[in-house]
Amino acid sequence: MLVSIYRYNPEQDSKPAMQNIEVDVPADRDLMVLDVLELAKAKDPSISYRRSCREGVCGSDGMNINGVNGLACITPVSRAAGPGRKLVLRPLPGLPVIRDLVVDLTQFYRQFEKVKPWLINDETPPAIERLQSPEEREKLDGLYECILCACCSTSCPSFWWNPEKFIGPAGLLQAYRFLADSRDTATAERLSELDDPFSVFRCRGIMNCVSVCPKGLNPTRAIGHIRSMLLRQGT
Amino acid sequence: MKTGRPTNLNLFSFKWPVTALVSISHRISGILLFPAIALLLYLLDLSLASEDGFRQAAEILASPAASFITWLTLAALIFHLIAGCRHLLMDIGIGETWRAARSAAIAVFALAGAGAILAGLWIW
Repeated sequence: MLVSIYRYNPEQDSKPAMQNIEVDVPADRDLMVLDVLELAKAKDPSISYRRSCREGVCGSDGMNINGVNGLACITPVSRAAGPGRKLVLRPLPGLPVIRDLVVDLTQFYRQFEKVKPWLINDETPPAIERLQSPEEREKLDGLYECILCACCSTSCPSFWWNPEKFIGPAGLLQAYRFLADSRDTATAERLSELDDPFSVFRCRGIMNCVSVCPKGLNPTRAIGHIRSMLLRQGT
Repeated sequence: MKTGRPTNLNLFSFKWPVTALVSISHRISGILLFPAIALLLYLLDLSLASEDGFRQAAEILASPAASFITWLTLAALIFHLIAGCRHLLMDIGIGETWRAARSAAIAVFALAGAGAILAGLWIW
């Protein structure tokens, strides 16, 4: 199978180029994209990429696979390329490339940090623990599962054009995760920090984020909830 | 952030979901409508000015190029209207799941396509 990989080594190359590598894949079973990438690396050990758990838990191997962001380790080749077609691997879009498929995620983490992704509670801690009703806990479903692979934010045109001012889908999903938490007491402060034309309102609902999320999460809906909260607070 | 490093941002190498195609088409149709409205207002002004002006406006609109522009304007208007309704519904929290948003996006293209065909039949 033919694999086309985005190659860039800052010490040698002035600009990136695509490299074609022919890889022998077993015909009797479907491989994951990461498996094919490992086979390609066996042929050319200079190929660089991030990977760790190889089962869609760590979020290291997010990349652009045949034009769609996804985790290489849980994307079947059959779904990514289809029979007889070339597998095209590029780094996550919009972020500076460090080398080959490795991008600099600083901007992504900076936006994540901005939403203060931790519980803020200024009340005296209870003797045992802060309890939630099952209904209150249920509100966090679909929000806490994010693994920060950056597939969503790097597929979002609003994030490409305003990576410094727009929080992006991943950050906003986490922002809502703490806005929706019954134990968090900083709701008003959190909202006022998001209340500007860019942080939240740059989202145009094109839903690239939802279409690529390997965990099946829905940042667009979370952003909608934040928008409603901001409007309610404003009136 | 300027780093001197390359970024992978070749928009033609990406595969876009239908929801994104609706969004970009919504913008493009909006941009098309902007000069079209100026043109239509000019023609309205001309046709209301005098009997001669009305005849002139009718002549301009009768040409094949004008028919095509009228059709393009109508098609853009129909698309912009339907896509706009979908956008408003999503703003009030309807159709925010992936399946609903995707179906609605396909429906927008289908309805707007049908509208464009009807507009064509009406014009020609």
